[in-house]
Amino acid sequence: MKKQYLIILAFAGILALTSSCHFGAKYKALIVTGQNNHNWKASSPILKQLLEETELFSTDIATSPENKADMSSFAPNFSKYDVVVLDYNGAAWPEATQKAFEKYVSNGGGVVSFHAADNSFPEWKEYNKMIGLGGWGGRTEKSGPYLYYVGDKMVLDTAAGRGGSHGKNQEFEIRMRNIEHPIVNGLPKRWIHGSDELYNSLRGPAENLEVLATAFSAKNAGGTGRNEPILMTIKYGKGRIFHSTLGHPSATGGPALECAGFIVTFQRGAEWAASGNVTQKVPYDFPNAGSSSLRAGFKQLTLEDDLTKIATYDITKSTKYFVDLQTRIRAEGKTPEAMQGFEKKMISVLQKAEATPEGKRLLMHELSWMGSDLSIPVIQELAKNAALKDEAEFALARLKPTK
Amino acid sequence: MLNKTNRRDFLKRSVAVSAGALILPQIIPSTALGMGGKLAPSDRIVMGAIGTGARGRGNVREFLKRDKTVQMVSICDLDTTHLAKTKELVDAAYKNNDCRLYGDYREFLEKEKLDAVTIAIPDHWHGIVYTAAANKKLDIYGEKPLARTIYDSQAIVNAVKRNNIVWQTGSWQRSKVTFRHAAELVVNGRIGKVSHIEVGLPDGGAGVGTPPIMQVPSELNWEMWLGPAPKVDYRGVCHWNWRWILDYSGGQLTDWAGHHIDIAQWGIGMERSGPIEFEGEAIYPRDGIYNTPVEYDFMCKYANGIQMRVANSSRLKHGGGATWYGDKGWISVDRGRIDASDPKILDEVIGEKEIQLYKSDEHFDNFLECMRTRGETVAPAEIAHRSISVGLLGEIAMSTGQKIQWDPIKQEIIGDQKLNRLLTRPYRKPWELPTL
Repeated sequence: MKKQYLIILAFAGILALTSSCHFGAKYKALIVTGQNNHNWKASSPILKQLLEETELFSTDIATSPENKADMSSFAPNFSKYDVVVLDYNGAAWPEATQKAFEKYVSNGGGVVSFHAADNSFPEWKEYNKMIGLGGWGGRTEKSGPYLYYVGDKMVLDTAAGRGGSHGKNQEFEIRMRNIEHPIVNGLPKRWIHGSDELYNSLRGPAENLEVLATAFSAKNAGGTGRNEPILMTIKYGKGRIFHSTLGHPSATGGPALECAGFIVTFQRGAEWAASGNVTQKVPYDFPNAGSSSLRAGFKQLTLEDDLTKIATYDITKSTKYFVDLQTRIRAEGKTPEAMQGFEKKMISVLQKAEATPEGKRLLMHELSWMGSDLSIPVIQELAKNAALKDEAEFALARLKPTK
Repeated sequence: MLNKTNRRDFLKRSVAVSAGALILPQIIPSTALGMGGKLAPSDRIVMGAIGTGARGRGNVREFLKRDKTVQMVSICDLDTTHLAKTKELVDAAYKNNDCRLYGDYREFLEKEKLDAVTIAIPDHWHGIVYTAAANKKLDIYGEKPLARTIYDSQAIVNAVKRNNIVWQTGSWQRSKVTFRHAAELVVNGRIGKVSHIEVGLPDGGAGVGTPPIMQVPSELNWEMWLGPAPKVDYRGVCHWNWRWILDYSGGQLTDWAGHHIDIAQWGIGMERSGPIEFEGEAIYPRDGIYNTPVEYDFMCKYANGIQMRVANSSRLKHGGGATWYGDKGWISVDRGRIDASDPKILDEVIGEKEIQLYKSDEHFDNFLECMRTRGETVAPAEIAHRSISVGLLGEIAMSTGQKIQWDPIKQEIIGDQKLNRLLTRPYRKPWELPTL
């Protein structure tokens, strides 16, 4: 079904509603942006691209008037959407818009609070219930308790003090706290996030809130020495809110947004907020406790990318393309035919004169267990090359057992 | 079992060494001959050590504590800083300067006349060095896991049998009362019929990326360290951290299989057999030279229907250790804790007519004791082999994404010839497993 949005710009230039047509998308998403202490012009198009990449969402962007401009006409029609993604940290919305938003959520609408959206609207009581925890904007003990983890226990701390801070940007490890929740089920329990701001000292009503993941905010990086909440869900009326503190954008997105961990939790969180379920498969490139994993240009690797890069691999370069190939073989090589499909492509790289010896060694090692007789003559030929001899002999010893 | 031939050999060798040890008369403390030392000097066990890094030096220290029964005379390492540190320890214990040093285990085994050797070296070397030492008829205290591959592990078991030597694996949890008590309660049905087991082993950690190639430190024989493993440039990753690289180790899973999987199988009487089915998933680092799984989770099934889940501990309710679930409750044991569905279970006493598990109160003493009786230790090679087999087969299932059917008697993967290739890691030339 082709969706045509009638774009009525009552006050041209004040409310810009960009529309996208997406065939067969199950859910309608609205990104609200236009004011932020962050580079929303960079982040909002990226969030739109990430939502649409799932093929689950058709996405509109509602851009507010500029800071200090008249907000009175800003009134997105929330009720049309299944999920509203907040990339907004700015002036208060008109009261009617606030009420409409409250009604939308309490009636079962989905919300994703992205990064600095939890800085916004310190005075709007219902909004703070929706996001559960917030920071900056004069938030204090009056906003609610601090929330953090000590060991495996969640602590609500009513101590006096300001809400919201962060240390310097850096990579940090995220630890899942509820591995059963659909948003994080099946993901690694610990993973290294791309360089980002690690929000700390958030405080708020924290009602009907569940923490999905925390990160340790190290004192030597300007943090609190506590395990701070990073991913959360909140129930508000019948509505579902997914709150991610991640995603400090640079002009091109940068490592915080390119992190496959951010991308995937955002995409899954949006689906859960829209529907209460997650149907997306865990991708091959999710980061883990061993290493972070960034998607250059927000693109996932293809098998062809892997093979092209392995052919140019040398010992100073990243092994991620080979790891990606191994992951693919593990997940998809479930039949002899599928396995031989991989084998043939790997052999074609082995036969390329210009492919690097280091790349060929990696491939021979993998073929040593999954290869068929097809690989044997090719590897026998490579065994004549002094630089490849050891690995070729290793592979042949497995492919052609002497006993 | 007491083996008379071996006992005679052992005494003969002891005497020969003592006679030869006239060069070391001053190391026999006078107390050894009086009340404090019950053994005649001729009964002292003459030992050496191969591998004297962090773990190996710890084991040497344990044997030095038993200086009334053990005479540590020589050590072998391919890092001269390890040798120097360990010689200092040994010489300080005997107040002399006699500890002999070797850089090559072959020369060490050829020249030294020993009763026993303690070995703590990286896993990829276990097959060769353990087998070579067994072929010299030395009793061995060897570190877990038994080997890097099932093929190597079998070779070690065979060498131990063929040479009639006493073998103790460094699976010391077997000599701790809490672990034995937990396993003994389970094996005697105190939680009823066991349906499943959970084994939690440590999570993997952060990597180091791809460090630059560096000059090999002058104290290290890098080519020898690599030995049968693929030739690679030195990047500053060697001692201890080898265990995060698949060419040398399977990571936390294989490092710890010889502890908690070992205990889990003890509690169900499967320590000399093994599961018949394996299936699971692991999460591998996305980049960098550390490539062992940071998370792992596999299920295996025994022929009697018992299922065992082995996973990194943060995935499991009880965390690390072994937890057995039966139809009348559960028992969970880890270092420093033992829990049960009902604490009263833990107070149960095992009657005389019930199954008594092997009782060893001290792991090193158990080894020395068995050297004298020629009996089997609490952690013999066969059991260590079956413990690491579970880890290695789980590794194969996860690294290939395939479900594995295993025949624990023939010890082969059923049906898929390709997967049987992974029971070996072919050695780089010229290295091969020693034959007798």
